[in-house]
Formats: sequence, structure tokens, C-alpha cells
Amino acid sequence: MPSQRSRPGLPRSVAALLGVIVLVTAACGASTVPSPSTSPQSTTATGASQTPIAITPAPVATGAGGLTADGKVLIRWFVGLGTGAQPDQIGDEQAVVDEFNKSQDKITLSLEIYQNTTAYDILSTQIAAGNAPDIIGPVGFRGFYAYGDQLLDLEPYIAKTGFDTAGMDPAILAAYKEGFGAQVGIPFAIYPSFLYYNKALFDEAGVPYPPHKIGEQYDGKPWNWDTLTELAKKLTVDATGNDATSAKFDKQHVDQWGYYMQWTDPRGWGTQRGAGSVVDGSGKAAIPANWVEAWQWYYDGMWKDHFIPTGSENRSDLLGPDNAFQSGHVAMDFVHLWYTCCVWPAEGAPKVKTWDIAVPPADASGKTTAKLHADTFGIMKATKHPDEAFQVLTYLLGNDKLLARYGGFPAVKSKQAAFFTTLDKRFAPNKVDWQVALDMLAYPDVPSHEADMPNFLKADAAIKAFQEKLITTEGLDIATEAEGLRSTLQSLFDQAS
Amino acid sequence: MATTQQPATLAGVLRHDEPAHGGIGGMARREERWGYVFIAPWLLGFVLFTALPMAAALAFSFTDFDLRRPDEIAFVGLRNYERLLADRDVAQSLVTTFRFIAVTVPLNLAVGLGLAVLLTSPRVAGKALLRTLFYLPIQIPLVAATLIWLGVLNGSNGWVNQLLEFVGIRGPDWIGDASWVPVSLALIGIWGVGNMMLIFIAGLQGVPTELYDAARVDGAGAWTSFRRITLPLITPVVFYNLLISLVVSFQVFVQPWVLKNGIPDEATNLFNVNLYREAFVFNQLGYASALGWVLFVVILAVTVVLFRTSRRWVYYAGER
Repeated sequence: MPSQRSRPGLPRSVAALLGVIVLVTAACGASTVPSPSTSPQSTTATGASQTPIAITPAPVATGAGGLTADGKVLIRWFVGLGTGAQPDQIGDEQAVVDEFNKSQDKITLSLEIYQNTTAYDILSTQIAAGNAPDIIGPVGFRGFYAYGDQLLDLEPYIAKTGFDTAGMDPAILAAYKEGFGAQVGIPFAIYPSFLYYNKALFDEAGVPYPPHKIGEQYDGKPWNWDTLTELAKKLTVDATGNDATSAKFDKQHVDQWGYYMQWTDPRGWGTQRGAGSVVDGSGKAAIPANWVEAWQWYYDGMWKDHFIPTGSENRSDLLGPDNAFQSGHVAMDFVHLWYTCCVWPAEGAPKVKTWDIAVPPADASGKTTAKLHADTFGIMKATKHPDEAFQVLTYLLGNDKLLARYGGFPAVKSKQAAFFTTLDKRFAPNKVDWQVALDMLAYPDVPSHEADMPNFLKADAAIKAFQEKLITTEGLDIATEAEGLRSTLQSLFDQAS
Repeated sequence: MATTQQPATLAGVLRHDEPAHGGIGGMARREERWGYVFIAPWLLGFVLFTALPMAAALAFSFTDFDLRRPDEIAFVGLRNYERLLADRDVAQSLVTTFRFIAVTVPLNLAVGLGLAVLLTSPRVAGKALLRTLFYLPIQIPLVAATLIWLGVLNGSNGWVNQLLEFVGIRGPDWIGDASWVPVSLALIGIWGVGNMMLIFIAGLQGVPTELYDAARVDGAGAWTSFRRITLPLITPVVFYNLLISLVVSFQVFVQPWVLKNGIPDEATNLFNVNLYREAFVFNQLGYASALGWVLFVVILAVTVVLFRTSRRWVYYAGER
């Protein structure tokens, strides 16, 4: 037998072992200590025309005790549950963060922005992983109800720091305590709703602008939903220029719609005919009759009279997609003050150059309802640094730049007068009658359309599924569908009890 | 250092005697060890990222784990499994999933095979370029591709309906109309058939050409050759593509989720979509884990049935 060659020796086995280590490390993904990095597409915030940051900045590394490498407390601010993730807003938010970090040397504030469609999923996952952020917001009542028992009671910190809540509307302050068992929020911004209208489309149609005062008539007629319907039909135009009152109107090729209610759900639609709730006094599911009426009107507006875009039309390139008023193809949009975030695009020339706001019509009883939203920030119970988080919270609550960027009306009364001056500068030379927005504060929907529901997340999902069905399916009987929704909600409420 | 090797005896090999240095048994064992070393990274990854999470999911499926309240997790026994048996959404999502599979899997196989036959035909010019073009769609991330399709299939002014209108047909609402959504999903699925096509091409290229020559001599036409020679000989490849396609189709999530912006209707509430909603929209991770294991068992059962039946129709060259 030939003698065996000498063994290759240690180097080959060492090389193999090193190869295994490299492969395993690569398979395990990123390093265990996340490294701070500049966002690849970020620019410094310079104003309304800045290039927005396209992605969330990388997380800041922390060591023991949750301190950064330079010994500061890291406070993570999670944005996306409400407004705040629009391209127009991200630059200003980062500027606010940078200003805070430069203003003191004990805290590093880090910003995380997620699109609304995934923000709830991501936050839930972070909580489950023990990696909850410190501050969430701005977020409306929907977010507060979704995470109510995860939010910190702020009362001890308000008392400790002497934070002044005297200048706030007590009803809204109380709203962040009722139903939560603790003071989980301090009012930041309130958003009345009203009609945004595209003046150029009105001029083109040769029709007067809608009223700016409650009680005013429109072209000699009472300003109610019937009058708005006729107006909206005149402002709905097909590709060949025929409006929806014309026998030649081509409903298959609509180019411009008279009315829309952007970024809301059927509970919001319902408030067109007055406030209501899908939960009755005894906790059972109930669809208010005025809401069924509002839904019927809205449904007919989409499928019978065609002055409201359907789901397919709203998602087409012609209307954004999904930013109908900004597209310049919708004459009137009943939406909140926060929509000033997105009337004009972050980049490029706006298509809606001249616009203003008007009061919504009154219902059959002569009553006007303008649904109200309220946003604020919350501190997660899981925060390891509640004092620092509260310090950041108060900074955000007092930041007027953020307020203007979110289009939020200050909850603090002393700031309300100066608020619209900021918006005027932003939208100059277009002049907007902000008195309408102030006046609409007197007509909120009570109870709020965003009120709590048992089994909140599933009930909310059921309502959204109901909405999806209405905006995509022709030929439905609304009364039957409303009863189906009620039945679904009742079974969900029963599951929660 | 040079060593002297002991002569290996048959008895010694059968006893798995280990020679002092080298020998047949020792070499085989060394090779075996090196084999384990080289698959160790994959094994480690499998254990860490597949096996352990599966075990964790099984454990969670017996709890009421809520993502928002991870500290309040409690053992609930078989309650999640009892719940899913009575859950209408689960039943509906299973039916929708099977319906989806019944349409898309045969369609994808047919289109993939058809393209492969075309792109192995001597009469087609530019085969290399065409193969590349048909394969390219797979390189686009699925979410981006679905978003593109959202625009293309838009019922109001999408390209497909504009083309149909050009020839005088009024196109449906491909995304909004529940009866057309399965067709839309199938169309999106066909767009990504390039991978299957390539595998079919490899299978077709493995069919001995002398068989076709012999068949031609016997007077067989193209269809007869395809039916009697090509198809039987590529059944292993068909089996592979069918198996992979089934497993993937059971787990479809991205396309229906993105198409309906997270608000699925009956046509898009596939099993995996429902699972995701339970886990991450409603935060019921315990219940979702039970759903995940049910899906695993269903896919496993289908795979076993497929393997068992394959003996009747899959022909492996070299077997009797």
C-alpha cells in the first residue's frame, strides 16, 4: 500500500471554521449594535419646498441603562398612527427633533416614521418584542383606544412638573381621561372639519362659491344637502365637458367630481346627517337612522348620480391616487383642518392653485354638524425613562412649527389667534377664510364618530370592510347592508363581553 | 509526516474497524464529518430561524398571547383550536384559498410549460433574449410589482381597460369587483411564471432527441410526440413545479394584501391574509399561531397525497 501523504494540517480546518463563522454571521443579518447613520435621502429641513426624507432614520445605538454612547437618555418618538408620515411633513418633524437635541444635553430624541397602513402592526410588534417606543403620536382617538391600556398616566408628571393645563379646553382634556381610567393624553391639536373647495372649478362652471357662514343661503336657496347635491352635479364633468345634469353625461368617463369626503370611514360619512354612534346606551350595536340616510345619500352620489368618486376612481391616477382634492379633479371635499398638510404636494407645482373653505350644509332639521378630530401624543407605559419622555412630550406639545405642519388648531386658547398666520404664510398668495374653521368648532359631532367600541380593532375592521364594499359594489341595498353591519358588530361586541 | 497504512480487510471494513490512519471506514467517516461541517451553517439557520420559531408558534397556539400585552400571556389549552373550528372567517378563507389554487396552479403550469415549449422550439429566433425577458418580472420585488398592477388593472383608467375600450369592450373593475379579483390575482401570478418556465426548459432539454426522430419515422405528428414522449418524460419536472406551486399558493399574502390595501374582501381573504390580520391587526398572536399550524398541517397533507399519487404518473428515467 502506498504510504499516506501527510495530512494537510491545521490551516484547512481553520479556514473551514472561519468560513462557517462568516456564513453564520452573515445569515444572522445586521450587527447586534445598530449603528447610527445618515438617512440616505435626507436633506436638512428648509421649509415647505424641502426634499422629504424617504425612509425612517436608522435607530440610535444604546448601551446599558438605555443611554446613548455619549451618556444621554434615548427617547424614541414613533410617528405614523395618525398624521405625520406625509412627505411634506417629515422634514419639519426631523427639524423639530434636531432643534430639541441641540437645545439640551441630557436627552437624545430619535424619530421613527411609518406609513399609517403599517404603523399599527409595527407598534404592536414592537410592544410584543419588549421594544416599545417611548412616545407615540400625533394620534387621534382611534390610536388611543387601540393602545389605551399601554399608555402612561400623565397626571403624576403634570403635578410634578407643574405643567399648565389651565389654558386648554377642559372638555377635550377630560376626553383623554374618560374611558381610559387615567389621564393618558394632554390636548395638542384639534381639527374642525369644513368644505375645501376648488375656486377654479367653480369659476369654470360659472357657479357661486359655497357659503362661509352658518345660516347663509346659496344662490337664493337654503344651504342644505339637496342644494349641495345639485351644485355637485353641476361641478361633475365628463371627459367631453358635459356635466352630470346633462342627458349626454358619460358616467364611464368622468373627469371631475363635484364632492368627496376624503380619508374617513362610514362613521365619518354618517355625521353629514348629524352625530351618532354604532354603540347604543346599553352597549349594543345600533346604526343610527340618520347615518343610514347619510350612507344612502353617499352611495347614490357614487353609483346613481356619479358626483362622488367610487373606490376604483379614487384609486386611479386621475385622483392622486387617493389624494382626490390635491389632484385638482374634485370641486368640494369635506375634510378636516389637518388636510392643510396635503392640499399642496411636497414637490412640484400645486394643481389646486386657488382654494378656500366653506361651511358644510345643514341637515333636514336645519342643524349643521362638522365632525371634530383631536390629536395628541402619548407616552407608552413601557418607557424606561418617563421623566425624560414627559419632558419631550411637553416640548412637542408646545411646538408651534409642528402644529402648523400638521394643520392642527392649538388646543391651548392663547395660541389660537396666531395659528392661522402661519398657515397664511404657507399658502400665500392664496387667501383662505380661516374664520370658517373657527366657526366650525361650535358644531362638533357629539358623541364623536371616533368614540370607543367594544372589541375596538375588530369592530373598526368590520366598518372598513363595509366601506370597501360600498365604494366598490354597485346595486346594493343600503338598509340591508346596514343591518348586516349591525349584526356583525353585535357579534363582535358579544365576543368582547 | 509519512505514515504506514495498515492493510484493510473485508472483515475489518464490515466491523467498521478504524485503521490507525486512513483506510476506507476512516475516510468515509472523515468525509461524513466534513459534510456536516459544510451544511452546518444551513442547519444552524434552519434551527434558529425555522425550527425554533415553529416550536415557539406551537407553544403560543396554546396561549392567549396578545401582542399589546405580552406580560399577560396565559395558557388556554385547546381553546384556540376550538375557536378556529367555529370561526366563519377561517372556513371562508380556506375555501377562498382552495378556489384560488384551483385556478392559478393549473394556469401557471400550463403557461409555464407552454412558454418553455415555445422557447425550446428550433423555429423561434432570439430564444436567449426571450427567456431573459420572460424571467425578468421575477426580479421585481413583489410589493412593487403588485402596486404596478394596481395601476394597470384599475377599473377606472387602468391600461388594461383602456386597451379593452380601444377595441370596444368595457372592462370590469378588476380590483373592486369581488368576482373579478380572482382573475386579477391569476393574471399577476402568470406574470411571475418565469422561474417555472426555466425549470421546464431544463426538463425539456433533457428529453433525448432520438425519441423524437424515432417517432417521426413512425409517422407521429407534433402533438402526438408531445403527448407520448415529451409529457411523460418531463413528469418529474411537472411534479416538482406542481409541488412548489401548491406550497407557495397556500401561503400567498402579498398580492391580495397590497391589492386591497389591507382591507380584504371575501375574494382576497385568503388563509394567510386572515392569519396575518389575526396576528398583527387584531394582535391575537396565540390564535394566529394556531392558524399557522393548521396551515402547516394542511400543506403537509397535500404534499403527502401528492407524493403518494406521484407513483402513478411520474416517470423517472432508469426506473422500471
